[in-house]
Amino acid sequence: MFYKILDVADRILHFKRASAHCDIPCGIYDPHQAQIAALTVIRMVDLMGELVANEKVEKIDFNNSMARYIAVKEEHAELCKREVRVIFGDYFKKEHVEKYPELPTLTHHIFQLGSKCRQTANRQTALDLLGLVNRFAEIYWETKAVPTKRVKAPYKPGEEIVYPIL
Amino acid sequence: MCRLLRVSGRSMEPLYREGDFVVISKIPFFFRPVQVGDTIVFRHRVFGVLVKMVAETHHANGEIFVTGIQPESVDSKEFGAVRIREVMGKVVWHIQREKK
Repeated sequence: MFYKILDVADRILHFKRASAHCDIPCGIYDPHQAQIAALTVIRMVDLMGELVANEKVEKIDFNNSMARYIAVKEEHAELCKREVRVIFGDYFKKEHVEKYPELPTLTHHIFQLGSKCRQTANRQTALDLLGLVNRFAEIYWETKAVPTKRVKAPYKPGEEIVYPIL
Repeated sequence: MCRLLRVSGRSMEPLYREGDFVVISKIPFFFRPVQVGDTIVFRHRVFGVLVKMVAETHHANGEIFVTGIQPESVDSKEFGAVRIREVMGKVVWHIQREKK
């Protein structure tokens, strides 16, 4: 009875809602995509260097290949930043930041280096980006209590990346 | 002193069902600080006004951790600690939707 009175009153007065908020968070986070993107940036810089060194390439082919390498480098540097942003923003909590105080600065440096990789074709910059993303991945897996190992990627550019030991 | 609110969402089912009414008040906190097991309403900067159950209290830090009942509940496992000053009140009266 009392409920019915309140229900009618709510239709007129629209009481404030207290949300028992509920959704289906996917909870799927993995820094691997960011690592692959960083490796791709290195690979594109390498391919750009090889293309410049190859004097036999026709100008039209040179321009075509160079444009493609630059486009992929741009895309993956940005993808790397995006993946790191999502994990930092959605997965890492205050407790993680307290345990790993380097996290905010590390993430910021990844963003900066990601942008620098777009602006330049410097291999060392791309390597630095991968190094920071690897550290980010290590921290991520540590928060999941999953041990990691560093191994050379079994494909070009063959740089070292962090893998979870599952 | 007291506020009447209506529950939306299902994370607190079966205790608090969608459409139930709750009366909240801060008066109980004058006699006893917020405790584990209390059902509280608080204001979250992203999710707005939420009703959840207190899972942990850290009075020294002025923080509590909250939980829902359903596994899909968006609560402290998602957004971390809640500042005690953001708590709007404890549920002191629960007016349940009539069962069909």
